[in-house]
Amino acid sequence: MPNISTTPVIRLRGLKKRFGIGDAENYAINDINLTIDKGEFVAIMGPSGCGKTTLLNILGLLDRSVDGEYELNGQSVDTISKRKQARIRSREIGFVFQSFNLIPRLTVIENVALPLIYNGIGKIKRLQIASDILKNFHLNEREYYMPHQLSGGQTQRVAIARALVNEPSIILADEPTGNLDSRASHVIMQELADLHKRGNTIIMVTHNPRLTTYAGRVITMIDGQIDTDTRIRATVKHPKTRQIKKRSKSHDKKRGKK
Amino acid sequence: MRLLLINHIQNAYQSLRGSRIRSALTMLGVTIGVASVTAILSLSGGASQLVGKQIDDLGGNLAIVRPGSNNNDPIASITQTQSYHDFATSSLSESDMTYIKKVPHVSAVAPLMILSSNIKADSVAPKESRVVATTPDLAKISDLQLRVGQFLDNKLKNDTVVVGYQLAINTFGSDAPLGRLLTIHGQQFTVVGVIKITNTPINYNSVDFDNAAIISFEAGKKLNKNTPQIQQINIKADSIENLESTIKGIKSSLATSHNGESDYTVLSGDQISQPSSQLFYTIAGVSTAIAAISLVVGGIGIMNIMLVTVAERTREIGIRKALGADNFDISWQFLIESLGISITGGFFGYIIGYVFAFIISKFMSLTFYPVINWQIALIATVISIVMGTIFGLYPAIRAARKDPIESLQQYN
Repeated sequence: MPNISTTPVIRLRGLKKRFGIGDAENYAINDINLTIDKGEFVAIMGPSGCGKTTLLNILGLLDRSVDGEYELNGQSVDTISKRKQARIRSREIGFVFQSFNLIPRLTVIENVALPLIYNGIGKIKRLQIASDILKNFHLNEREYYMPHQLSGGQTQRVAIARALVNEPSIILADEPTGNLDSRASHVIMQELADLHKRGNTIIMVTHNPRLTTYAGRVITMIDGQIDTDTRIRATVKHPKTRQIKKRSKSHDKKRGKK
Repeated sequence: MRLLLINHIQNAYQSLRGSRIRSALTMLGVTIGVASVTAILSLSGGASQLVGKQIDDLGGNLAIVRPGSNNNDPIASITQTQSYHDFATSSLSESDMTYIKKVPHVSAVAPLMILSSNIKADSVAPKESRVVATTPDLAKISDLQLRVGQFLDNKLKNDTVVVGYQLAINTFGSDAPLGRLLTIHGQQFTVVGVIKITNTPINYNSVDFDNAAIISFEAGKKLNKNTPQIQQINIKADSIENLESTIKGIKSSLATSHNGESDYTVLSGDQISQPSSQLFYTIAGVSTAIAAISLVVGGIGIMNIMLVTVAERTREIGIRKALGADNFDISWQFLIESLGISITGGFFGYIIGYVFAFIISKFMSLTFYPVINWQIALIATVISIVMGTIFGLYPAIRAARKDPIESLQQYN
């Protein structure tokens, strides 16, 4: 349910990202114009190498060397200092990666609490917040596990928990289910759909057309440009996935007791 | 900011614990460097305090006159301590002694004429044994206590000798060879006394009395073909309060007798120990400079390991940046880690350095103990911090400059 507000969360004008120089020059992003409003659930689709991930990195302020205009919450990104950009990343943006990207030498709860460090929150408070959020993801029994002791689905749930711990308004997901089987995928998608319902803006890159049913808007990209941009009135309730989720929970419990 | 620092410290602790052997080996480099610096400084500190302490023990109302105009130059003092014994022709004469005796408040005057003659009785004394020709006042000034017998005295004949404890053992094989004959420079002397063990091989007299034969000044002159060779004149004032005026008096009377030529030096208090302390400090300085090489090697070890750590954790850097860390946070994280290595290593180095120094002073039966003071602790701390910073800075900056996207792609 797109929320109509005066300033869009993201506005791109003539965005270009160039790789190489001279003859080898090519555009990963070639002249993209895009406006995303608060509370949208956008799925970006397209073949490999069409610039989806690059676009997501630019939206997440990780890639700065771009031409064109990018306004985040009405402010041009060019005018924001590196330091401020880092702060925006920690407060406004939550990343979910295909390869989870948990830090292997930290426990689950420490991984989840990681973004809070850069917000200057004290250790006890950090762990409390992280613990609360892990409870929402039914992972509170796994708090002191190491990432390699978790299943793929659990790991991605931890990663989503980490992305949410700072209560960001935008969640950027780069193929969040790319490394998961279909059962775990639907659990993850259900979590994202829940977040969307609570008013978060979600931008998700995916290969899997079936996952676009969760989204309210599907953008397909080709060769660094937007091909189609379709808004769908998505029904978020998927009875089938709910069942799967329940099953997976009981499955987790069994694993935990082992 | 404060919270971040605590977090960086916890993080560094975790990561150093995570690769224990590697961290321990890197720390070892720092430990060895700091340990050698600590050992050298503490031992040389102990050695240089030694002479100063002796003078304090003697009550402090002591002044000495040495030939030569300037003893305060450390390089000169290195060369001059040697020449006292062997080569130099002294600018001090017997008449200087008589002048000094006339200065008010002087209670005792003892010249030191050090001869390196053959000493033998049942067996020949070792080379480092010395013959000291002096007046009976020396016992009073330098506080020489007798084990058996008596010290030189004006009523005794010139062919009497007082021997040090070790010399008695070395030559007679006995610790009380009273009445026996000692041959010095072909002349025979009767032993009248043995000095108690002083155990101060390093002192302001430049003579180890445990290994010395003390004869009267007249006898010494005779051995040296009737030429007095005074290396040093020890003077005791009747009280500390009068020491300053005594020194003034000595200076003015010597100025007249030397025709205004200042080819002598009057020393008192700390000045007496200065040449020998400066000698020790010079030696310590040179050895510290050599030890500094091991510090540099240790530092390179830190840099090496930190570069490996940064490379290993490229992905972690990418993740942290994506989650909101800025370059400053990342560089601090790695800098704190290298500081963790260097400070921990330095701490153990400080302790091991002292253990080593105490073992050396015990085992080599040195007459002084390593000195423990805040300066050495400060030096060890500063060395550790500076090493951690200098050698950790480059890896930390490298870590901070990593591009988040490329970092996240590592090992994908």
